[in-house]
Amino acid sequence: MRNLALWFDRRFGLEEHTISHYAWVIVAIAGVVQMVGAAIRMAFGVLVDPLVETFGWTPGSIGLAYALMSIVTALASPMAGYLGNRFGARRTMMAGTVLFFTGMMWTSQTQQIWELYGAYGIVFGVSQAFLLVPVVPAVASWFRRHLGLGTGIMMVSWSLGPALVVQVLAVLFENVGWSQAFIIVGVAGTGTLIFILFFFKNTPEDAGKVAYGTHETDNPLMTSGNIFVSTQKEFQGFVYKTNAFWNLINIHFLGCVGHAVILVGIIPLGISKGLGPLTAAGVLTTISIVSVATRFGAPVLAERMSPKMVMFVSFFGQGVGVFLLLTANTTLDFYIFAVVWAIPYGGEGTAFPVMIRKYFGHTPMGTTYGWQLLGAGLGMALGGVIPGMVFDITGTYTWAIILSAVFSLAGSIAILLLENTKKQLIPNWPEIEKNLRTVK
Amino acid sequence: MKSTVSNQVVEITPPNLDGFEIKRRPIMGFGLLMSSVFGTLAVLIYFGAWASSDRIENRALAAGIYEAQAENEWWEDGLVFACPLH
Repeated sequence: MRNLALWFDRRFGLEEHTISHYAWVIVAIAGVVQMVGAAIRMAFGVLVDPLVETFGWTPGSIGLAYALMSIVTALASPMAGYLGNRFGARRTMMAGTVLFFTGMMWTSQTQQIWELYGAYGIVFGVSQAFLLVPVVPAVASWFRRHLGLGTGIMMVSWSLGPALVVQVLAVLFENVGWSQAFIIVGVAGTGTLIFILFFFKNTPEDAGKVAYGTHETDNPLMTSGNIFVSTQKEFQGFVYKTNAFWNLINIHFLGCVGHAVILVGIIPLGISKGLGPLTAAGVLTTISIVSVATRFGAPVLAERMSPKMVMFVSFFGQGVGVFLLLTANTTLDFYIFAVVWAIPYGGEGTAFPVMIRKYFGHTPMGTTYGWQLLGAGLGMALGGVIPGMVFDITGTYTWAIILSAVFSLAGSIAILLLENTKKQLIPNWPEIEKNLRTVK
Repeated sequence: MKSTVSNQVVEITPPNLDGFEIKRRPIMGFGLLMSSVFGTLAVLIYFGAWASSDRIENRALAAGIYEAQAENEWWEDGLVFACPLH
């Protein structure tokens, strides 16, 4: 396999962007972890009807499990990021895998509503944070340069994973029932995670390799040793004192409210305007597919140009784009919206690791990224309840659309107030001199 | 691109930060975050109060009584009380 990759490098002149680097194995593993971790969350809608039929619970009480899971994931994210920094992403993700298995098996045996809240809401919520938060900083540590390229490829799995697993779950629910489906997906998912994590290495140094994009003249970065933990604590203290740290949590929150309203509300909105359920679902699928392009492109552009500009354009586009829904009445209107809005939406959330790298250099980003996902998770939870709440009160989705725009546009203004990304805000993370083996 | 650093444990000294410190507090960043928190709470209270007053009005209409006479949930009263526009 490696020889084939080396042949590709030579054949297409990819020496600078070699595909025979272990960083790509890490990116592939991260993609699969993201798919498994996020898919059950995205597939929650498939679970509602079988539970209503089996137990007679109301959709509202079942939906509470989803809200609980979103909030638990958000609250556990800073801790997951810290654990990833302190004990390594691999160990944290292994703990997440154990919780994933426990949550899936418990959910499959659920008989009471409180068990659903415990299994899906709490256990699975913590599992998600342990799987999804540490993996992104770990990928970042494998890229000395070209982090945007690595992040972009990894983020594509955000779209593909749910699209794939929703179909698999729907088929399983139909053929073996919801309980067996959870057991099968739980066992298969856990087996897959254990297998791929066997090949996962927290840092290039753990694998005896150098990070992607390392030049001959670069000294290795400090990733272990007697003062690694205390240095990390000291640098994280600097990070907490920057405006960017707090504002990025804020921006992530605002952006997630903005798109969660649309992602949750687009199908009922379409149906309320006369679209069939399948046609309305197709609008959401179109958004997922089109957004793949900018999920990949935004971090690459952010690294080459300016992450502030890329994120501003994405947030502004996401905010302005939703106004198309105010006049959408036909199937064509909705599909035009799906294509136009998915472009900025795809780029909205994927440039954050690049932004963190620009501001805080190679300082381990687990804790910082975990705090940002706290904002994102609370934003997703809030955005998820807005469409239903607004429709119950007003009988239309107009106010939900306006609120989505307000949150996204507020996020774009907050981006303009961020510091210039050309200047790193804290000192360089220590390097180890090749010969002296001491910190510079 | 081979690393010259082996996996052996190396004794390293603390980094020299040349007295680096951040004296200013992150007022702008923290302030923006808090603005969003309070703005979001305001939106939730406004829509919550709107929903509550609709529910109270519907119950009162159905029972043929004045709104003031209707028995309300604690959270309905709380939201209407908290919202200056309802």
